[in-house]
Parts: sequence; C-alpha cells; structure tokens
Amino acid sequence: LVMKNLLKLFGALEIVDLFILFAVSPMAFKNQRSVPSALVIEDIKVDCVILLRMLQKLNCEATVARNGKEAVGLFLQGKTFDIVFSDKDMPVMTGPEAVAKIRAMGITDVKIVGISADFGGMEAFMQAGADVFVPKPMKLETLDSIVQEVIHKKNMSI
Amino acid sequence: MDYSNLRRQIISMKKSLFDQKRLLLRAKFLFTTKLIFFIFLPVLFLQGYLDEQFNQLEELQDDSSPNFVEEVVALFFKDSSRLLTNIEQALEKCPQDFYRLDSLVHQFKGSGSSIGALRMKNECSMFKAHCNERNLEGCRRSLQKMKREHATLKQKLETYFQVNSTL
Repeated sequence: LVMKNLLKLFGALEIVDLFILFAVSPMAFKNQRSVPSALVIEDIKVDCVILLRMLQKLNCEATVARNGKEAVGLFLQGKTFDIVFSDKDMPVMTGPEAVAKIRAMGITDVKIVGISADFGGMEAFMQAGADVFVPKPMKLETLDSIVQEVIHKKNMSI
Repeated sequence: MDYSNLRRQIISMKKSLFDQKRLLLRAKFLFTTKLIFFIFLPVLFLQGYLDEQFNQLEELQDDSSPNFVEEVVALFFKDSSRLLTNIEQALEKCPQDFYRLDSLVHQFKGSGSSIGALRMKNECSMFKAHCNERNLEGCRRSLQKMKREHATLKQKLETYFQVNSTL
C-alpha cells in the first residue's frame, strides 16, 4: 500500500525529477563538509602543542590565545570560531572569566569546552557558560566525538 | 694456475669473509637494539614511569610529524626544568607563598600528565597535599622526589629515543 501511494505521488513527477530527488540526498551534502575552526586558549606550551596536533589530525583549523584576555580580544575583533577549547588557570584572565565575557557578548552559538586537570574546574566553567567540561589530559577519541558533533551541526546548517 | 690469479682469489675470499663478519655484527647490533626497543618502553610502563597518555602521544605521530613524541617530550623537559627551579626558589622564600607554590606545581603536574609521566604526577599530588597543609618540610621532601623522578624519566626517555633513532 505504501509503495502504491508512493508511486501515485511520484507519478506526477518526471523521471528526471525523480532521479534528482533521490540522487541529491542529505548524504550528498556531507561532501560539502566545511573545515571547523577552533580557538585554543592555553598558556602551557606542552598542552597547547598536543591539543593543536590532535586538532590537526582531525582536520580542524586552529588559532591560539595564550590567556583569556587574548581570546576575548579575538572575538572583539570580530573573529568567529566553531569551537573554543579553554584551559582554566591562566595568567591575566582565567578560562571561566573569558567564557563569561564571551557569552556576555552575545556569542551563544559557539561550542565552548572547558579543560582542566583540576576537577573542581567543571563547576566554574559550567557556571560561566561553557557547554562541556573535559578533564586533562584529553584523549583523541574524546576530542574526535566533540569535533564530529560540531561538524554535524555545521553541515546541518548549510 | 699462476700466482697473480691465486692472489686475486685469496683477496676476494678475504673480502667476502670480512663482509660477512661485518654483516653478522650489524645483524647482532640490530637484534640487540630491537630487543631493547621492544622491552624498554613496556618496562617503563610496568615500572610506573609512564601511563596510557604516552600511547596517546604516539598515536599523534605519523609521517607528517615523524618526531612528534620526541619533540613534545623535549619541550616538556625544557619547561619543567624551569618550573622546578621556580618551585625551589619559591620554597626558599620567607614567608612562603603556598598559593603560588600550589599554582606552580599545578602547572608542573598538568604538563607532566599530558606526556604520561605517571610517577611525577603522583609526586606532584603529594606536594599539593603538603601545600594545602602548609607543611614546609613535606613540600621540601616532595620536591626532592619530584626532581629525582624528573631526572630519571629524562634519562630513560633520552635512551629510548636514541635507540629508536638507530632502528
């Protein structure tokens, strides 16, 4: 019965239109995947290098800010990012402080991930407006799942 | 058979024996270094010097970044040596700033755990506990242990990378 109704529906369409309808499926749009852009807010060089390498492996473009103030400065300059990874304890301005300022600027669509070796950092980040907290050291598979979620969301909005 | 022909044959045989000996020595060397390589790193894990995070670093190494692990480890030891000096100086100041000490050790612990330095990470936790209790002697003892673990791990990883580079 379903097939019968489908055939009635598609009977109104030309064969060529039918071909286009089924060929240009949502799957096809995945080939137009755009590269996600990430902001890494981290003052410790070793941690920064490792996270940048992980993002490189996951085909993400990355920008680095050495503290919260630099990161906020980038947003004030009009820079946009798909995802932000922020350490907690940094000189000049901490991660949670920067996250609170970024959200206060009305930037709500960027995914913000708080990272810290201090488990107590979770509360500070979430209260500031972060979307998720990941304890350090971050594993590649954890980062991959976060990035894939951002890519999926980005592709759905295209 | 004339003398010069015989002489040429003897020289050729000698050369062949020498080449074989050299090949044998090379094979022994490669076998020994491969043996060291395949047991060396697992031993570091078994003895608790390294944890799974070191494997994560190795996963990030590929043809596009063939020396990634060695570079990160070198960066860690460069930064951590400076941190250890800062911690030592902060400990000797009077009065001690335990907040600053905790912050310095937190950095040291964080980057150590990023490369999988398990023993150092554990010793940092002990130091932080002493800091919280304002236990100066405890901090000093922990610092000495941190320095020993730091030096031992540095030496072991340097050996590992040296062996790795010969393969």
